[in-house]
Amino acid sequence: MTIWFREHLFALKSALTHLRAGTGNFLFNVLVVAIALALPIAGLTLIENIRPISSQLSIEPEISVFLTTETQRSDATALSVPIKRLLKDLHINGKLSFTPKEKALAAMQDSSSIAEVLSTLGGNPLPDAYVLSLSNSDTDKLEQLVEQIKALDNVDVVQVDSAWVKRLAALVQILQIGLLFLAVTLGIVVIVVVFNATRLQVISHQAEISVTRLLGATNSFIHRPYYYTGAMLGLFAGALALGVIAISLQPLNQAIAEFAKLYASEFRLTPLGILPSLALLGVSILLGLAGAYLSVRRQLARVS
Amino acid sequence: MIEFDNVSKQYSRDAYALRDISLSIPDGELIFLAGPSGAGKSTLLKMIAGIEKPSSGRVMVNGQDVSKLKSGSLPYLRRKLGLILQDQKLLTDRSVLSNVMLPLIVTGAAANEAESRARLALEKVGLMDKMQALPLELSGGEQQRVAIARAIVNRPKIILADEPTAFLDRDNANKVLNALKAFQSAGVTCIISSHDEQFLDQASRVIYLSHGQIADSWDAAAAA
Repeated sequence: MTIWFREHLFALKSALTHLRAGTGNFLFNVLVVAIALALPIAGLTLIENIRPISSQLSIEPEISVFLTTETQRSDATALSVPIKRLLKDLHINGKLSFTPKEKALAAMQDSSSIAEVLSTLGGNPLPDAYVLSLSNSDTDKLEQLVEQIKALDNVDVVQVDSAWVKRLAALVQILQIGLLFLAVTLGIVVIVVVFNATRLQVISHQAEISVTRLLGATNSFIHRPYYYTGAMLGLFAGALALGVIAISLQPLNQAIAEFAKLYASEFRLTPLGILPSLALLGVSILLGLAGAYLSVRRQLARVS
Repeated sequence: MIEFDNVSKQYSRDAYALRDISLSIPDGELIFLAGPSGAGKSTLLKMIAGIEKPSSGRVMVNGQDVSKLKSGSLPYLRRKLGLILQDQKLLTDRSVLSNVMLPLIVTGAAANEAESRARLALEKVGLMDKMQALPLELSGGEQQRVAIARAIVNRPKIILADEPTAFLDRDNANKVLNALKAFQSAGVTCIISSHDEQFLDQASRVIYLSHGQIADSWDAAAAA
């Protein structure tokens, strides 16, 4: 066994002895740090669940052009000519496809939970429609194009379908930035809590520190047990926060399931995966270590 | 070899703990630092251990200038010394055996090796039966002997004892001094500070301090 390993083993044992002597204080500090960590972890869990929705959906602009229900099929198909002309005039490379109302109705009856409602109507309430797919580079001319299509004969409604996806993506981005600020702020809180806990520990072991120093202990030997204590504080608090968030998703998911059912969705919040959880545990250990490091450096410089 | 070369320690303008001390202590001597309280005995010992730094002059221990040692090097000097302090500084929440093992543990020694050497040191001071006791369960004399065991466990070449008999009765004080004399016989340099003059004849040399200066110095064996 190398001296390095023996010294670390001794430091770990000393840290555990310190914890046994002050279990109540340690648990209280774990709780405080866990609360501070739980908020950003909850935020991250939420973003990790929302992000796939916004990223999987296409955010390339798509324009749906609904014609009036009275429009004859020949007039409807003929409308592709002025639309293509508008695209050409505005130098937009768009892909135009025609969706007849029969096809739209069949699709709705196949996939939607409102099939029963549709059958009660007796006829087809849907209009013929065009779907115009554009590239992102054409978004600056989008409004102009929409206005000109609206002015065409037989056009009832023009809908830009990608707008809500863009809004969701923007919202996720804002949430990410907000979460980053929250994480940094609460990371500082964690460091301060560990700093103070370590400070009190150093003060209560001042006699032991001065004796070991007189007996030839190096600074590393004296500092190490406190680093282990700080790291353990971060580890236990991180694990507690992850556990609490994972457990609290269960009742939350019951409420979300009811809400999602209204939109024919099976959306539910899932806890963070193993790798992100391990990464978060690593971060909380590092925060504990940082708090202990700063505190020990400061306190022991005073003691000496 | 320990050498003091014009060493002074000044705390404020008129407050000198030591003033212009020059002395040389060869290996294997038993030196008594005598003198009244406040004479500078403890300061002199602390300077050898690097606990205090001189305001001027230099303190050499085995060819090393202690006053110029960086804080990172001081632990390695202290590992070569055996320190016995007036108030023992034993860790009261640990057993006698753990206290004696501590100087070896801080050097990274294996626990089983540290334990066997600590047992041996406790045997030398006659405390084998008190190994598992806590320091506060022992008498003052026994606590001082634990401190001696802790000081010798790392087989130092120099033992520094600050008033080791201060709070002991004559019987216990004799036991402590006999233990230290036994180490001196084995070639260890022992420097003992004491204001108790009844033990001075047991030293090989006595250095009498007064107001931070060497007032007198004599060979005790020759004087006897």
